[in-house]
Amino acid sequence: MALEVLEDRTVPRTTTVYPLRWRSRAHAIVGLVLILGITVVVTSAIGSTDIPLSTLCQVLLAKLPFVEVTPTWASSVETIVLDIRLPRLFLAGLVGASLAVAGATYQGLFRNPLADPYLIGVAQGAALGAVIGFLLPASWQAASIPLLAFAGALLAVAVVYSIARVGKTLPMTTLILAGVALGAFLAAITSYLMIASGDKLHGIISWLLGTFSLTSWWQVTMVAPYVFVGTVVIWLHARPLNVMQLDEEQAQQLGINVEQMKLILLGAATLITAVAVCFCGIIGFVGIIIPHAVRLIWGPDHRFLLPLSTFAGAIFLILADTAARTVLAPTEIPVGVITAFLGAPFFLYLLRQKKRAIF
Amino acid sequence: MGFVVLINPPAAEGTGIVCYETPEPSVNRYIRRWPLILTTLVWLSCVGCIPQHPEGNVVDDLGRTVTIDQTPQRIISLAPSNTEILFALGLGDKVVGVTEYCNYPEAATAKPKVGGFSTVDIEKVVSLEPDLVLATRIHGKTVIPALEEVGLTVCALAPDSIDGVLNGIALVGTITGQHKQASQLVDSLRTRVEEVASKTRNLAPDQRPTVLYLTWHNPLMTAGTGTLADDLIDKAGGQNIAYDISGDKAIDLETVVHRDPQVIIASVGMGTGEDLPWQYAKTEPRLENTQALVNRRVYMIDGDIVHRPGPRITDALDLMAQFIHPEIF
Repeated sequence: MALEVLEDRTVPRTTTVYPLRWRSRAHAIVGLVLILGITVVVTSAIGSTDIPLSTLCQVLLAKLPFVEVTPTWASSVETIVLDIRLPRLFLAGLVGASLAVAGATYQGLFRNPLADPYLIGVAQGAALGAVIGFLLPASWQAASIPLLAFAGALLAVAVVYSIARVGKTLPMTTLILAGVALGAFLAAITSYLMIASGDKLHGIISWLLGTFSLTSWWQVTMVAPYVFVGTVVIWLHARPLNVMQLDEEQAQQLGINVEQMKLILLGAATLITAVAVCFCGIIGFVGIIIPHAVRLIWGPDHRFLLPLSTFAGAIFLILADTAARTVLAPTEIPVGVITAFLGAPFFLYLLRQKKRAIF
Repeated sequence: MGFVVLINPPAAEGTGIVCYETPEPSVNRYIRRWPLILTTLVWLSCVGCIPQHPEGNVVDDLGRTVTIDQTPQRIISLAPSNTEILFALGLGDKVVGVTEYCNYPEAATAKPKVGGFSTVDIEKVVSLEPDLVLATRIHGKTVIPALEEVGLTVCALAPDSIDGVLNGIALVGTITGQHKQASQLVDSLRTRVEEVASKTRNLAPDQRPTVLYLTWHNPLMTAGTGTLADDLIDKAGGQNIAYDISGDKAIDLETVVHRDPQVIIASVGMGTGEDLPWQYAKTEPRLENTQALVNRRVYMIDGDIVHRPGPRITDALDLMAQFIHPEIF
């Protein structure tokens, strides 16, 4: 019946349903997916070692089923492309996607432009866990650092959540404050442990700034399922998230189970953030900049904001990591340095171009 | 010592040699120059006589001029390498403070601790009333000014080559009055260095195996040019694959695979007795096809003897030479 009213055109279209600018945004999603594909191929050709694009394509083609390519390249080329560059690219893409979509979710949930995936203690919890991992006996380190980082991240958020919960509701302001306070407390412990860590300090700092060096396929296969499930869950909740932008009370009155929604979205966003940071460390800036950039370009509708952020985050972090491993080759810089160094000016440029309120 | 004497006007007048043919003004001019000439002469003799009398000025590795008034009796070392040098020169009894990392020789561990490597407890240093503090480059910006502020004598050693280490030992001998022991030690170390270097000096480039020196595995850390490890690899007859990296930095795994090192030397025991970098190098599947792994030439070396610019540097050189050229050494 509501539709008939619409057909009547007695009510302006835009005030009833979301403003529908389907086509351009759907195109944008397809476009970003294409760009992501191109980015993967092109950046896998870039590195401290010169590998011609033709050789690269042959190496990649040879891996496809039913394609016969006689190897004319050294085995080291295959190792470099397939076992060093590609897993790195994939992990960077997955992490960039998770951080960006988690950032968009947090910003939507908290209705706060300053929210990022690390707002309620994920980063500080992960950092503390990882630093403890670094200080454990050496033989445990390889497994314990990602595991403790992951556990630390989830534990920190769980503590923040249980502190902030009032009865059956979860006031967002309390959540933020509890997150910031617990984060500061955990950061203090981390700082102390770093000072006391002696010769392990370099490894710790490099982890804290975030780095993809030494990524291998098993890490990608560990991270991928979580990121995939978490991201899909978040995407599916784009509509309620849109409604919640009005006000929690209004959303409730419009038939949305706000508390349940908050729990699901917080849970999913926290999970993918924790899984994203546990191998590569705390990569800053992606989670706050990418959603804002997407919002500036394509608008705040979460049905598009969430997938667009996901792909833009992946592209951005792949490019940033490529810069991290090539700018000063053969040495590497932590990718976190690059994300801030490139991301901030780009974001300021966008802000200046658009000159309109983001939220 | 000499400075007071030569600026003394009576001393200049008393010499009076220049008076015989020049009129008054000129005499004055010459007399005015005398302090300068004397300064130079006495300074030269002063430099010559430091071995017997440690008092005087020396220039340390950071280019600072250090004035030693009398033979130091209470010495604090701010680095494990400095501690090793002091003990090797028989000054163990005079060492009154060391760092937490000073684990060699055994006797050093019993000394009072003045903090970590870069985190020096200034108050503790002052309370030990040292008349000489031996620092390193890492202390240059903050710790040394702080120590000078409270009137302590600080000398910094910052060698980045084997020759630099030997000079550093000689310098410590000079300022502590242990010149004889120092020159004996330096001579014996130099002989051992020369024993190795003479066999590797004339090797053609293709006889010099490529070497990856691994200081840490996550991220991969190596020692580039301007480091002791680089000099050791060179003297031991190898080629460092990190030739275009300067200092201790991370190296791309891709670069390592591409440059395909023939020998991998992993530094172990960095303070904690762990052999992680060595384990890593042996088990990393992506290094499997490098010459070093194919030919099973992954070695481990005690990081302490490589990275500490102290008297054990020749032990490191001997080991490196055996790893890189087992057929010669």
